[in-house]
Parts: sequence; C-alpha cells; structure tokens
Amino acid sequence: MLKPRPEQPPPRAAGAAPPAAAAGQPSIAGRYAVDVAQPLPGAGGGLPAFVATDRRDGRAALMAVQVAPGAPPRAATFAALADHSDPCLLRPLAYGAAPGPDGAARWFVICPAPPGPALWPAGASAIRPWSEADLIARLLRPAASVLADLQARRITHRAVRPDNLFLDAAPGSPAVLGCAWASPAGAWQPAAFEPPYMAMCAPAARGEGRIADDVYALGVTLLTLALGRVPLAGLDAEAIIRRKLEFGCFEALVGEARLVPMIADLAGGMLAQDPDHRPTPALLADPAAARARRVAARPPRRAPRPLEVGTLAVSDARSLAYAIARQPEAGARLVRLGVADHWLRRVLGDTTLAGKIEEVQRQRAGEGGAEDAAADARLVLKAVALLDPLAPLCWRGTALWPDGLGPALVAETTDAATRARIEEVVAQEIAFTWGGARGEHGDLLALRQEVKLQRGLLKQRGWMGGLTRLDYALNPLLPCRSPVLADRPVARLDELLPALEAVSARADRRMAPPLDRDLAAFVASRIEGRPDQDLAALGEAGTPDETALTQLAVLAHLQSRLKAPPLPGVAGWFADLTAASLDGLHNRETIAAQRAAVAAAVPAGLLPALLAVLDDAATRAADAEGHAAAQAALEQLDARLAALADGGAARHEIALRIGQEATAVLGLGALVVAILVAALG
Amino acid sequence: MKKAGAVAAKRGSSLWLQGLICGALVTLATPTALLAGALLLPSLIVHLLDTTSGKPTLRAVLLFGLAAALRPLLALWTGGQNTETSLALLSDMAVPALAWSAQGGGWLLTQLLPLLVRVGLEAQTRIDIARLRAERDRLAEQWGVDGET
Repeated sequence: MLKPRPEQPPPRAAGAAPPAAAAGQPSIAGRYAVDVAQPLPGAGGGLPAFVATDRRDGRAALMAVQVAPGAPPRAATFAALADHSDPCLLRPLAYGAAPGPDGAARWFVICPAPPGPALWPAGASAIRPWSEADLIARLLRPAASVLADLQARRITHRAVRPDNLFLDAAPGSPAVLGCAWASPAGAWQPAAFEPPYMAMCAPAARGEGRIADDVYALGVTLLTLALGRVPLAGLDAEAIIRRKLEFGCFEALVGEARLVPMIADLAGGMLAQDPDHRPTPALLADPAAARARRVAARPPRRAPRPLEVGTLAVSDARSLAYAIARQPEAGARLVRLGVADHWLRRVLGDTTLAGKIEEVQRQRAGEGGAEDAAADARLVLKAVALLDPLAPLCWRGTALWPDGLGPALVAETTDAATRARIEEVVAQEIAFTWGGARGEHGDLLALRQEVKLQRGLLKQRGWMGGLTRLDYALNPLLPCRSPVLADRPVARLDELLPALEAVSARADRRMAPPLDRDLAAFVASRIEGRPDQDLAALGEAGTPDETALTQLAVLAHLQSRLKAPPLPGVAGWFADLTAASLDGLHNRETIAAQRAAVAAAVPAGLLPALLAVLDDAATRAADAEGHAAAQAALEQLDARLAALADGGAARHEIALRIGQEATAVLGLGALVVAILVAALG
Repeated sequence: MKKAGAVAAKRGSSLWLQGLICGALVTLATPTALLAGALLLPSLIVHLLDTTSGKPTLRAVLLFGLAAALRPLLALWTGGQNTETSLALLSDMAVPALAWSAQGGGWLLTQLLPLLVRVGLEAQTRIDIARLRAERDRLAEQWGVDGET
C-alpha cells in the first residue's frame, strides 16, 4: 500500500543552482554538495531526499537520497549504470557521506532529481484513471525500455510503483523510474507490488530478484493507474500474500473491477505467478505483441476441504507452503505425521506432490524423533520448496532469498535470533539444500559456489570470520560500524586511514590498538585480492606488542597499497603502543638507535617505515644473538674471575715449585761451573 | 695394603743400601768421608729435617754444597788422600766456611725464590682481574645485564 507523502515541491528548472549550495559545504565524491535545508519530499523512493548540486558544472537538478542505517545501497547498480544515459531512469551518480539534517554524518546517494511530481500524488487515495493510450505511451513503453536496458546490464530496479515514477510537466512526457539504489532491492516495495515469493520475505531479505519481478511491479502499477486506486488497499501484507496465492495475483488484485481488454490482457501476463511466464521488457515495448504472446497458466488446484496449519486454513499447495513457512512448528508436525501428504493426495488430488512430501517425510523419520528441531527445520525447508518451488528459502520462520542474506544480516529490524538463524543457513549450507529441493528453478551450480564462499568466510579464524565478516563481505557499501571510528563515515577502504588519523587525535582512543573486529572484517572484505597473513592474524591471541605490530603491519600495507597520505597521528598512536617493545631489545646502542628511528618515522607519518623500525627481524635477531653471546662471555669472565679469586693456593704451589726448581737449576749451574773451573785448572 | 708394604720394603732396602755405601765409604775412604762429611754437614742436617716429598731444599743445598766442596776434595785426592791432609784442609776455616755458606745460600734461595715468584704471580693476577672486570662491566653496560656477580 502506498504511504501518504507530503506535497511534492514544484520541479526545479535545470541549471538553476539552489541558493544554499554554498561552496564551503562538504561534498560527495569531491563534487556533489547536499543542501539538507531543502528537502524533496517523496522524491527518494521511500527515503528522505534533498537538493544536491554538482559543483563542477553548477547543475542543480540533482537530489541526494539519504541512506537508512542498516540498509546499505545496492553496490552492483552503481557500476552497471555508470554509463547509463536514458533520461527515463534516475540513475545513481555517486555515494558518500555528508552532514545530514541533524548535523551528523549521513550517507547519501546522488541521483538526478525527479523531473516532476510522482504519478501517485502524495496522500491521495484515488486518482482519475489513466486512459489506455496514456498507460501504454507514457508508462508501459518507456518503463519497458528502461527495464530492457537494466536487464541487458544484468540488474533490476525493484522499486517500480506509482509513487516512485515521475512525470515531467510537459504534456505527453514519459514516466521516469525513480531512485531504487539507496537501499536493498525491493526494501520499500509494498506487498501489493511484489510477487508473493518476494513479499513474504523481510524487506531487506528480498534479494536483487529478476527483471520479471520488475515486470510484475510494472503490471501492478499499470493496474493501479488504470483503476485509479491502489489494489488491495487496506489489507495488510499477510492478507495480500494469501489472497494472491489463493486466487492468483491478477485475480486478487483486480477483483471485480472492469478493465479495458488490452490492459487486462497485458496485466494478466505481467502478473503471472511464474516469473518465466511473464513477458520480457523487450516484448512489452510492443504491447500488441506482448498481449498476443500471453502464456495461459493453469489456475491452481483447489481442495474442496481446507487443511488447518496452525491458525491458517489453506486450500491449495502454494498456500500450504506459505502456511508451513509462516508457522514452521505446526507445519513440521503436519508433514512429519503424514497429514500433509494425505491431504495432498486424498483431498487436493495431487498425487505427484503428495509423493514428494511423503519422501521428505520418510527422510525425516530416519533423522530422529519429534524432538529434533533441526531435522524439523530441514523438513520444513524442503517441504516448502517442494510445495512452492517459487518460494524463498524458509528456515525456522525466516524467509529470505540467498542474495538477500547480506542486507538481511545488517538490517536494523534484524534481531539476534534472526542473525543466529541466518548464521545457521550459512554454516549448514542450507541454501544449497533448498536449491536442490526446488528443482530446476535457479542455477544450482552458482548457488553452490556462493554457499561455499559464504561458509568459508563464516568459518575463517579470528576476526576474519564470523557474522561480522559476512556483514561486510555481503554488503559492499555498508559503512564500517566500528565504535573506534565513532561518527567518522567510512564506507570505502580509502576513507579508513584518514578517519583513523582523525580519531588518533583523541587521547582516550590511543589506549588500545586501533583495529577491532568490525574494522578487521571491513578491511578484509574491501581489500582487493586475498587478505595477507597479517590481516589473517588479527584477533589471534598474542602479547599487546604483537597485537599492535600486527595491526601496524595491516595499516602499513594499506597505506602503501592505497598510496594514502602521511599519517603522523596513527604513527604516533602505534609508537606509543609499541614503546615497550623496544625494551625487549638488549643492546643499549641498538635501543637508542631504534628510538631515534621511531622518533624520526612518527612525524613523517609513514607506517611502512615505522613498521620497518619496530618489526626489524634482522635487528632483533642480531640483538638476541649478541645478547646470548654477551651472556656467554659474561659467564666465562665470571668463571675466570672466580678462578683468579680462588687461585691463591694454586699460585702458592706454583710459586713454590718454580722457586725450588729455579734454586735447583742455580745449584746445578754452580756445580757445573765448579767442575769446569776444577777441570780447566 | 700390599702396595704400601712394598713401598716400605723398598724404602727399607734403600736405607740399608745408603748405610752400606756410607759404611763402605767411611771404611775404605776415611779421609774423603771425613772431609766430605764435614763440608756437607748442613746438607746432612737438611736431609734429616727436610720431610717434603722429593726433598727440593736438600737438592738445592746439596748442589751448592757439592759446588763448594769440589775443590777441597780434589785437593785431598791430589794431596795423598790421608787423614792429615783432610784435617789440614778442615783446619783452614775458609774451606768449611765457604762450603757451609754456599749451602746456606742455597737454602736461602729455596726460601726467597718461591716468595719472589709468588709476588710476581699475585701482581699478574691483580692485573688480570682488573682487566677482566673492566671487560665485564663494559659488556654488562652494553647489553643491559645486571652488575657484578
């Protein structure tokens, strides 16, 4: 259901710079200034939007869409639409931080501003129905063209709805698709505009989806404008999903209303339950052809007697899947006890499906008793996938698409229990089990690779693994949420070092090493290539000196790799933390030389140079070797001194012996002389 | 026990041999024995008093005594080798005085020379200790090791 919005301001003439776009304001990507004093109500596709200005050319027909916390923008769309030029799409231009309305740093996506008001006026409950010609010429054809382009670029829009489509004031102008990039795909889509298999997921967990889902949303938009009212208005999301599953989407949305045949046929095709049966955007560009090639889908088989699943009563297989997914305990009991397959076989008359459910029931019987909750969860997962192969992954009451797992992890509405369930999905490779159960729907090989990758990340040791790592790895534009950074905005790796340099000025922060689990996971996820050994060693147990040196090595590597400017504050931070490590050296001259080198490296702010001084293995080895040699020499000296001190008696003996021997020699000499004298005369 | 007994027996036989030689000398060459005995009387005394192993004092004293007694003995043997000549030589006080002085000097040297050598060794030791201490202090200071042990 569309939410009421404040009145849309009049469109601003292109090229007219807003008065508040002062040159001194902080800018995004070095060129876009955000003027939070000028909000653009209803322009941001569900998010607050403000006037933005391109400082390079003074272009003012831009808006800055404020990103909601815990709902990071869609990274893939930025690159895919970098060279997009269709004016019928408000493509993303930049992403960055700027002061928000409250003065704190906020994240914004810069887009062209809407050319005029939304198709659905803010706060309106009904509008004058559009004519068939307008619907086709101003909405269907231009939107289909944009969607075809998006499909060629392998991305989706996922925010096609009347209040996110805009019209220029010029008569006959085509509709422009609004911003859909500043939040997870489909996060702001009302249940009526999403296929049931998307609507049953939490807003952040819907994943990127397929272009057929945009075709579906365009079909609902077509209906809305054709009817002049929002279908199923007043019903909550659960009721909308159940009605769509029970009666079919088109039938549920149109009800008893009358549509012109052309629009009815087109919308009927666009709202097909199976996305493979919906017309492609390229086909929709030729409405007559799209109408002619409509695939006639068989209506769902309905049972004459409903089946009670907890508090829900269902009469068809897809509704049964939904009920089991919503009430997994009751659903598991029904399947485990054979009630579901009996109902499918005997009441609904679908023996094939009953056989499949009976098979998973048999598997479950071999896994353990009724008290095995994990086996029940796997039973529910498989049963839902078999009953409705279009349904998302349903694990313990949490429904998500595998590519929506990342945004679901970090969404503000995700509590600890949901995160634990998502961790189970990754750790136990539940998505692969689900993919196998739903048959030919989806690319099982790609899913297996993705599942293995995610599990590998989750299971990595230390700060490189865990859910925190998945938070950043699966959300490429998620700002770093480390408390170390306080309110410093950091979403890209090159923003990290300047932020740490700013933080280093705070004395209270310098008591501990700068990197924490969030920062380590952020760096590991944003760095190109495989994380190096130092990064992998973060978080492992060690002495404070070892921890600081490991962190210094990581940041030094980053500084070199990113060619970041000098960081004297960070260098001083590490010099303080590692001051004691120099005491580990022994040679006084070496210590003095190292201190002098550190003192010289800190003002220069070059972390690699500081690391080379503090983590000089050769110097440390030489010092240790010299110390060992000195100790050995000292021991020898001590032994010699002790021997000299204790050698008085020995010296007395030696002196006595030498003296006596010398006397004997003298005596012998005297005798020889006497003999010679006597002999000679 | 057996070995100690053998040494004592050897010493006893040596003493017996010495007595036999002395007896033979006194009997067969009485003038020479008289003169030699008188001139080497200090050596005889030292022989009796010196109980150290190897009798180093006796050795020195005897060598000096023999050096001083050589000329009177030669004079006795060339002068007829009779008791009168022997007594005549002994009556010349210069002859026994020289022999006894030489033996006294020999004894004095056995006392003084070890002392002098000891003084020299001690001086060298002090020099060595000072040098080693200086080297130790330098190493201790350079490598941050605790002071003197």
